[in-house]
Formats: sequence, C-alpha cells, structure tokens
Amino acid sequence: MKVLFVDDEIDFLEIILKRMKKRGIDAMGAATEEQAMETISKNSIDVVILDVKMPGGRSGIEILTEIKYRWPLIEVIMLTGHAMLEAARDGMEKGAFDYIVKPADIDDLFYKINDACKKKSLQELKIKHIDKIMKEEIKT
Amino acid sequence: MNRIAEFFKRRFGLQRYKDEYNTEELRIAFKERYHHFKLLLNANNSALEIMTGIEQALQAKKPFGMSFVKTNCIAVTVSLLRLLKNLEQLSEGKYNQLYPRFDDICNKIKFLIEQKAEAKDERFIIPLNAIDRTMVDLVGGKMANLGEIFNRVQLQVPAGFAITAHAYRHYIECNDLQTEIDRRFIATDVTDMAALTVLSNEIRQLILEADIPQGLAAEIQKAASLLEQETGRTISVALRSSAQGEDSAANSFAGQYHSELNVGLENLLKTYKEIVASKYSLTAITYRLNKGIRDEDIAMSVGCIVMVNARSGGVMYTRNPLDTADSSIFINSAWGLPKAVVEGSVDCDLFVVSRNQPMQVSHKEIKEKKNQFLCFGADGNCQLDQTGIDKDLPSIHDEQALELAKLAITIEQYYGAPQDIEWAIDPDGKIYILQCRPLQQMATLKIDYPEELRLKSKENVLASGGIVICHGLASGEIFTVNSPADMARFPQGGILLARQALPIWASLLNRAVAVITEHGTFAGHLANVAREFKVPAIFGMKDITAILKNGDLVTVDTTNLSVYKGQISMPEKDIQPVKSPMEGSPVYQLLLEVSQYIIPLSLLDPYAPDFKPENCKTFHDITRFAHEKSVQEMFDFGKSHNFSERSSKQLYYKVPMQWWILNLDDGVKEEVKSKYIRLENISSIPMIALWEGIIAVPWDGPPPIDSKGLVSVMFQSTANRGLEPGMRSAYTERNYFMISKNFCSFTSRLGYHFSIVETLVSERTAENYVSFRFKGGAADNQRRIRRVQFIGDILTDYSFRVEVKEDNLIARMEGYEMDYMKERLKILGYLIMHTRQLDMIMSNNAAINYYRSKIDNDIKTHLLGTNGEK
Repeated sequence: MKVLFVDDEIDFLEIILKRMKKRGIDAMGAATEEQAMETISKNSIDVVILDVKMPGGRSGIEILTEIKYRWPLIEVIMLTGHAMLEAARDGMEKGAFDYIVKPADIDDLFYKINDACKKKSLQELKIKHIDKIMKEEIKT
Repeated sequence: MNRIAEFFKRRFGLQRYKDEYNTEELRIAFKERYHHFKLLLNANNSALEIMTGIEQALQAKKPFGMSFVKTNCIAVTVSLLRLLKNLEQLSEGKYNQLYPRFDDICNKIKFLIEQKAEAKDERFIIPLNAIDRTMVDLVGGKMANLGEIFNRVQLQVPAGFAITAHAYRHYIECNDLQTEIDRRFIATDVTDMAALTVLSNEIRQLILEADIPQGLAAEIQKAASLLEQETGRTISVALRSSAQGEDSAANSFAGQYHSELNVGLENLLKTYKEIVASKYSLTAITYRLNKGIRDEDIAMSVGCIVMVNARSGGVMYTRNPLDTADSSIFINSAWGLPKAVVEGSVDCDLFVVSRNQPMQVSHKEIKEKKNQFLCFGADGNCQLDQTGIDKDLPSIHDEQALELAKLAITIEQYYGAPQDIEWAIDPDGKIYILQCRPLQQMATLKIDYPEELRLKSKENVLASGGIVICHGLASGEIFTVNSPADMARFPQGGILLARQALPIWASLLNRAVAVITEHGTFAGHLANVAREFKVPAIFGMKDITAILKNGDLVTVDTTNLSVYKGQISMPEKDIQPVKSPMEGSPVYQLLLEVSQYIIPLSLLDPYAPDFKPENCKTFHDITRFAHEKSVQEMFDFGKSHNFSERSSKQLYYKVPMQWWILNLDDGVKEEVKSKYIRLENISSIPMIALWEGIIAVPWDGPPPIDSKGLVSVMFQSTANRGLEPGMRSAYTERNYFMISKNFCSFTSRLGYHFSIVETLVSERTAENYVSFRFKGGAADNQRRIRRVQFIGDILTDYSFRVEVKEDNLIARMEGYEMDYMKERLKILGYLIMHTRQLDMIMSNNAAINYYRSKIDNDIKTHLLGTNGEK
C-alpha cells in the first residue's frame, strides 16, 4: 500500500513519514501541489493525505477535486490544522474519504489509511470482475 | 463509479437475476457491504464518542476553549457524513431523505459557532472626550469607563484617545493572522502549561512581527501629535490594554494584559503592537480558558493617555471586598506610580476611611516601602527605585485620603455599585483617576470549627499573620513558584507559595487550592483574580517561604490567618460548593446551545411509526436511525442473497456434518477443491466460537412430551407443512454459515425453530456486534411465546439486549471486547442446540425450572470456565 502525504510543513512531513514507515506503510511526501501531482502520476498511489491549506496557488479542496477527477480510485484523507466546518463539509461532499483535524491520533490515522486502502482495493476488484464478465459476454 | 454501480444494479438488482449470483459476485458483494458496514459502524462510534466527550465537558465544567468546541463540531459533522455515505452505499440510497435533515442541523451548528460581533463603527481612533460607557464594544471596558468618568462624572482624568477594536481587527486581518492563531490553538493541549507557554510566545511573536497597516499607523501618530499639541508640552504616554470584556462586573481581567507606562511618541507603534500581542499572554490565555471566554469575542483596543508623573498612587475600593457588611473605603497607597500597588511586588500603606459623617480615617497601616516606581526621562519607561528617607513615611496624608474617599463615593454613587479605582497624585497634588471597574465583594466567611478541629489546628500551627485576600480553608502540598519556569510544573491541587503576589501567578489559580505570599496587598491584580476564582489566599505572611518547603502537606485557614501542618478538613456538610467559572460563560453557553442539535435522542423505538428520517432532529437521531437501518441492511445479507449450494462446502468435523459453509472472504485458512471443508481449516473467529458452543455439551435429545404437546406438534405439522423435516421450503434451508475472518452469518433450522446469528468480532472492539433472531416451534402459540421469553431471560442475564414480540425474539449485543464476544457466541451456539423442542414443556413449571437450572449450570461449567462470571 502506497500512501502520499502532502503538506507544506516539512517538519511535520518528516515526522509522519518516519512514523508511517515504522508501521510498514510505504509512505511518500510532497510539500507542494506540483510535487504531489508528479508523485501520483509516477507512482501507483493508493491513498493521499492532503493538507487543506496549501501555500499559494489552489486550496486543498481544489486539489482534492482534481485528484478525484483524474484518479477516481485514489482515496483522499484531508488532514488539517484549521478547524473550518464549511471546509470539512465541502471536502467530504467532494469525495474525501475522511477529514481529520490535527493533531491526529497516529493509531486512528493508521486505521483510516488501512480502511481507505481497503476501499480502493475493493473498487479495483469489482472493476476487474466486471471486465472479466464483459469479456465473457463479448465472447458468447 | 456510478457506471459501475449501475452495472451491478442492472445485473443483480432485479429478482430474476438474483439466482445468477456466482460465488465470486457474491463474495464481492459481501466484501463491499461488509466494508461499508464496518466504516459506518466506525463513523457511528466516533460520533457517539464525540457526543460523550461533549456531555462530559458540560458536566465536569472544566475549562475548555473555542478550539474544543470547533474541533468537536467538525469531528461529529464529518463522522455523520461518513455514516450517511456508507449507509447510502449499503442501502442503495434508500434513506437519502436523511441528507436534508443533516444539512439543516449542520447549518444551525455552523450559524452558532461562526457568529461574531460585527463592528459597525469603522473609526480607528476616538478621543477620550468623545467616549462614554456605551462604547465598550468599540474602545474596550477600561477606556469606556475612563471616558465616562471624564465626560459624565467630570472628574480629573489624563487626556488621551483610544485605538479602537476596529483598528485591532484591521491589523489582524491585513496580516491574515487569525487563521494561523486558530491553527496553533487547535494543535495545543490546553491542559499542558508548558505547551501553553510555547503557544503564547509563538502567537505574540507572530503579532509583533506583523506590520501595522499604513493607514492605521498614520492615524495613531496623528492622534498622538494632536494630543501633544493640546497638552502644550513634550509628552510621554501610558499605553493601556482595553480589551472587550476587561473591567466588567463578571470578569476583571485584572493584570492579565499588558500596559506600558511612560512611552515616548517615537515608540508608540512598537508599544501598540506589544499591547495587542498581550491578548495572547500566558495569563490572558489561561484566564479566558478558565472563564470560558471566546477568543474571537475579544478585540484588543488600546488606551493612549498622557503619563501622570505620580508622586504617589494606588488603588481604592469603595467598600471592603471581603465583607459585604463593611462600607468603609479602603485606600492602598505607595510612593510613585500606582504600579507598585497593582503588581503586588512591594508592600504599601493602607488607609481605611469611615463613611459616617464626619468622614475620618478610622484605621491606617504605614508600611516600610523600600521601593517605588518612577518615570525616568521622556522614554525612560519606569523603573523601581529606592525610596530613601521617605520609605517609612505615609505615602499620602490623611487629608488626601479623605479627598480620595470622597471621589470614591462620588464614583460609586454614579455607577450605583462598589468600585475598584486606580488613582495617582501628581507633584502639584492634583488627583487623577486612571481606571475604574466594578468591585467584587464577598461575604465574610464564618467557619464554625468543630471542637476536635479547633484543638487539632491549634497544635499544628506552622505560621500566622498576613492579610486575608480571599476567604476559605484548603489543604494541599506546598509548591513554591519563583519564576515562570516553575509554573509548568505546578501540580493540580497544590498550594501556591511565592515571595511576591505577581499577576502572572494568576495562570495557576485553576490548579491551586490556596495561595500564600510574603508580600502583596489585597488591591493587587493577583488578589482580584484569586477572589474571582474563589481561591483562599493570605498575602504578606512574613518569611513564610523560609518556613515551608515543597511537598509539605499543610492547611491554609484564612479566618485565623494561619497555616497548619497536615490536612485538616472541614466536615463535608460545611464545605460550600464552589461554582465553576465555566458555567454560564460564553464558551460553555455556546457548547450547550450547539449540543442541543447534537446530543438529545428522540428516535427511541425502531418499531414506532415515527421512526423516520424526517423526524431526526439531532445528529444523535440520525446516528440512531442510520445504525438501525445499517444493521438491517447488513444482516439481511443472508436473507437477501440466495444461497447457492454449488458454491458452498460441507463441514467435516470427525464425520461429514449437515452444516454448510460459504467462505465470503478470508474465512478459511486455505481454499480447498474437495466438497468438504475441515473445521481445522476455518479461520472465522465468530464461527469457531459459535461452533464451540454448539458442541460444548451433548444434547440429551428432545424433552419428554406429554400428550398435549404431541397433539400440538401434530396440529402444527398439519397446519404448516413447511415445518415437516422432509418438506423443502424456505423454512427448511440447511444450516449454513457464511463466513469471513471476522464475520459470520449463521442460519439454522433445528427441530421446528428457525434462528439466525449475524455477528462481527474483531480486535476493533467498538465495531463488534452480534444479533440473534429466534422464531418458531412446533408447540402452540402460547408455549412458543413462553419459550422465547425463557430464552430471552437467559440472554438478558448474559448482557444481551432482548426484544420479544409474539414468538419472535431478537437479541443484540455490541461494543464488547473480542474475548467477551466469543464467550457470548458460545452461549448462543449452546442455546440454539439445547432449546430445541423446549416449547413442548413450556406449560410445565417443574420442567421449566429443571431446564433453566441445567442450562445455567452448563453455561457456568462448560462455557464460562470455573468462576462462571456473567
């Protein structure tokens, strides 16, 4: 399972990557939107943990929208230090798997990443199965 | 994703396609449903946990801030959205009417937590001669009162102006500081004093580093120049915090914000920033937190008034703060600026003036005043200096005391309530009023000591003396505070011991049970806050820091001005309950209002006709409804998916059994091709537990049936052909388990009854669940009902929630740890086997008692281990 953490706080990024790796998660980091998009394009990322407030450019919600549009199967968990009810609602309605306010409980985050991965793998399984059936139907 | 859903719906949604489920599709459908169900349960549990947290906060009345309110509101909203999303997936949108209810509740919560005072007046600067007490929101409490004294009471007040709340907001907004401040608050554990100290330093630094917007800076400088022109000489000013809520009746904020004296105009802007930043001083943050005041409700206005080069100054109370029956005026006075009195750092003189005509000084205490605060130069700030030969002289003479007392009465009469007034006398003898706020008074504490206590306390006196600051009796361990660094280590329930009564110690008043200092007066900031928080305190106990050391267990008794060795407690009945300052505070009130949309539960009965989405009034109602429906959707899996025998395997336990197994996910250790599956190969935790119960005790066979019972069986068999073992119908499906590692759906028909167990058991305790339905039998209706009641009684004894309707029993249990759940599943397995045909004997009380006792004994002996704990 491959997880990408997107956060402009480099210190936070370093700590969380270390802790996730300790738990056996293949975790990568990106400090900007550009880095995030490039990492997703080049790696088969399962889950993205995204900060709601990124410096300059677009908001985390806009980045979420683009990720869900380009890679619908990737699950996105919003992780933020900003307690904004509207952003939380907006993020969830735009397809975020979850919305967590920092400081996040590391066990809780770990469980949520696992749940998000599981959801993604189920979707993939379903698509694979449909694919198989369709091929069989075409044959017959 | 919608296209995929459509495909599945088209393919499997219609009844005629249902039979076409092949094993793989069934597994995918199960996995998906199972996954959504688990996520829903997880969301449901988080929501309930948050609700409990909110309830506890409201009940405990311990301090919490706005970040607690906001993060909990967000967390519960997100949990609800997760819940709704997963219910939508589980039920194919059957309950989407919940969304409008959710939106409505959510909007109400949002309205409450995001409301803030809108400033209508957009002036940055208002001169003192245009200010009155109605302008609190614009210029803060301190300047509003000062303006009132000057313009309405027409007493001598130094000239000046206020830099308004609008100016503050403009400064913060232009630098986009609020979002960052809020973020840092959320990331901080507010119960950790060290973390709060770091937070305070960081936020103040943020403010100090931000630029004052040009327009605002220009207006401040222009107003100061004008003030200088009007005064007709080079001036220095005092910049004083004047936050909203400061100097009010309920909250004095005494000494919690910063004021800077003797500021040269060239340093005006730099000092303005420092005063604004003091909104986030450690003491101010903790004060607001402990009193439940919303950060966003406080805009820091700043008063800028011409510096009075005081010869002497101090604070006077128009009444005795410690005795509501005493109408004397209490004047605390020191040489130099009144700062010496309010900071509590040096001893000062006390003059008590009687109101009775002719007014006179009824009591005075002239202390040794080694130091005084003086202004040095135009920008010399003010420093503590030696008082020299004046140190033992009275800082004011009696005539001045009487003059001050008359002013005190004038102000008190104007406001109609006791006042706390800061004053200064310039070298020409002119009296200036510098600050005025309502005085909080408390009744004298009359402790009626029991004889035993009186003797005990006399024997244990460690020290006596000083002055009462706040009445009370409290025991605890001594903790000496010498510097801010000591504050982080101050223990909950400790007694604060310090040389000086500094305002900064106020941060510890929510942890300290009493305060003792060597110096300080009852007019100081710390004294005010101690009274606000009702913390017993004695100031001015000579050399007490040399007598007591850290860890000493002592009792502070303000009535006798004594400290005793050890703990001396008053009888419980004599202890006055102290009202938490949180109760009724704005933050508390907000959480209370918000909780009305979150916590109450009105949808109680899932069988009631009003158990509908449109009747959900709170988040709790929504979770209740969604949980109930999700359980139905999930545990109807067995019912709604036809079982394909070809895809199942027969259980092999010693010999082939009449039990079939369908592996839905990871319920077996190894997939096998043969038509049998061995029990050793099963990895489903709940199935193994059930099975252990099924085989725990061999069945004795059917109970002996009397002739009435036999007739009944024959009748039922005739009436319902489906009950005959040989008949093939919906009732005669085989006993089968649908399993994954943590899930088991078990359907059985043993004898004439029909039962289903649906269960989820894993390490994630909060998600654990078991539901058991039992129906049917061959006896008549009455005896079938008695049997389900019989079973229901047993299950109730083992912590199941049981509902019985006719001969239909539903028992549930959730949220217990894995081992406990496994034990309960064993009991279910046992009961399914051993209640077979018991309906037959349900008219025979002796037989009922026999079976009840046998079952209890079997459960205790074979299922629960030796101690038989329920």
